[in-house]
Amino acid sequence: MKALQWQGVNKLAVGTVPDPGLRNPGDVIVKVTRTVTCGSDLHLIGGYIPFMEKGDVLGHEFLGEVVEVGPDVKRHRVGDRVVVSSFISCGRCWYCDQELYSLCDNGNTNPAITETLWGYAPGGCFGYSHAMGGNAGSHAEYIRVPFADVGAFTVPDEVSDERALFASDSASTGWMGADLGGVKPGDVVAVWGAGAVGQMAARAAVLLGAERVIVIDRLGNRLDQVAKHIGAETLDYERADVAAELRERSGGRGPDVCIEAVGMEAHSPGAHFGYDQIKQQLRLQTDRPIAVREAIHACRKGGSVFVLGVYAGFVDKFPLGALMNKGLTVRGAQMHGQRYIPMLLERMAKGELTTEHLATHVMPLDQAPEGYRIFKEKEDNCVRAVFVP
Amino acid sequence: MGRTARALLIVAPIAAGTAVVAAKRRSGRSPSPRRTHVVTVHRPLSEIPGSLEELAKSVEISLAPAPGDRGTEISVRIPEGSPVTDAEVRRALRETRSLVEVGDVLLPSGPPTTEKTPLNRPLRTATEHGREGGLL
Repeated sequence: MKALQWQGVNKLAVGTVPDPGLRNPGDVIVKVTRTVTCGSDLHLIGGYIPFMEKGDVLGHEFLGEVVEVGPDVKRHRVGDRVVVSSFISCGRCWYCDQELYSLCDNGNTNPAITETLWGYAPGGCFGYSHAMGGNAGSHAEYIRVPFADVGAFTVPDEVSDERALFASDSASTGWMGADLGGVKPGDVVAVWGAGAVGQMAARAAVLLGAERVIVIDRLGNRLDQVAKHIGAETLDYERADVAAELRERSGGRGPDVCIEAVGMEAHSPGAHFGYDQIKQQLRLQTDRPIAVREAIHACRKGGSVFVLGVYAGFVDKFPLGALMNKGLTVRGAQMHGQRYIPMLLERMAKGELTTEHLATHVMPLDQAPEGYRIFKEKEDNCVRAVFVP
Repeated sequence: MGRTARALLIVAPIAAGTAVVAAKRRSGRSPSPRRTHVVTVHRPLSEIPGSLEELAKSVEISLAPAPGDRGTEISVRIPEGSPVTDAEVRRALRETRSLVEVGDVLLPSGPPTTEKTPLNRPLRTATEHGREGGLL
């Protein structure tokens, strides 16, 4: 079958790989019908997360049709149209029982790497390096889905492929940031990053009853999408003093909940961008935590900061003093998709949550390397490139 | 991107992979007789079968209920002179937990789509023993 493969740092190619097979009795094989780029893939492609092998298949956000079913699968059969959580979770361990699915004890076949790096290993993820299990990704014609009864969800007839696709990761991740960040009616919520995840976090905050939701970015087309499709306010960080604007828009208190949806390759017009960029390129720090610093600084006393952007290791100049003295709660997580996807599909069916506008570029899988180039360079107002195998 | 940056992009993965492998080898080569490996299985004590059978004759295994309805703690201590390594115990504990909780042990994707290169050798070595290393 055809698949998009990582061939080395900043080298992608569509190649021919063996078809995936059932490996465990709870597996299904899915014929991929839509699969989409994610900003966190850029960390893998650029070598910032150094656990890739030549030939690894990328992609973790996808939708498709079940074409083969393992003997223990009960909830799915051949022909089901399913959207699949990007994280692989057993559904039976203590973490899954607490609905902390991305922390699954049994979903990562290589726990040693992340256990050594972080103390304990999270679950596995599709197409996201050997640190996350080395699972073949979704930018392919077919994909093996382990624990399918737990992680694959039948899409209601009323929801199109184009809309349901983003329940797989972007919408689940965004919703988790607002939910576990503790958004309540009356809150002022600030979201750093107007990519797909940031937009979905903002939409979740709106639907959870936040009084004001403000999304921060520098890309005009993405901020326009926020205003048009999400129903939130916008803030261009290249044209405004973000901290001052947020103070002003929150009656001087600061946002109650700050959601960071940027990740380890953040940008900024300030001198600290150059500082972080140099340190990251020299591997003196693994991540550029610009948006996290800003969120912690801007957050109201006693407020909540949720880190949705992907980070790999260590950062410099972390504002621990602000965190401690302002009494903040800081949380983060990879996405607990299994917790949110059924509810998200219902909201999508009702029209409360729309995502089609995120797919600014739709192209055949053969053009995936070019799709990633456009996505990375943000050419032609690209928000997400969707591949149709 | 300059030559230095490219070189760093190549060196960093090797260094990271080597560190993982080195840590694993250290732990596999010289097991401490006082080291106890523990996992908590999310099932009550009454549901824990006679697992870890392959190692049971060479290690000391104890079971205890975990607090707060968290299941059962399985502790394994490797006695002085035992041929069993820390790596074997880690793998056995992880696989036991999965068998008890899920009834199965997840296998990696297959068939493989990757190719062997000198650069990814440390990573391949680490992942070939993915359940044996780590901190457990």
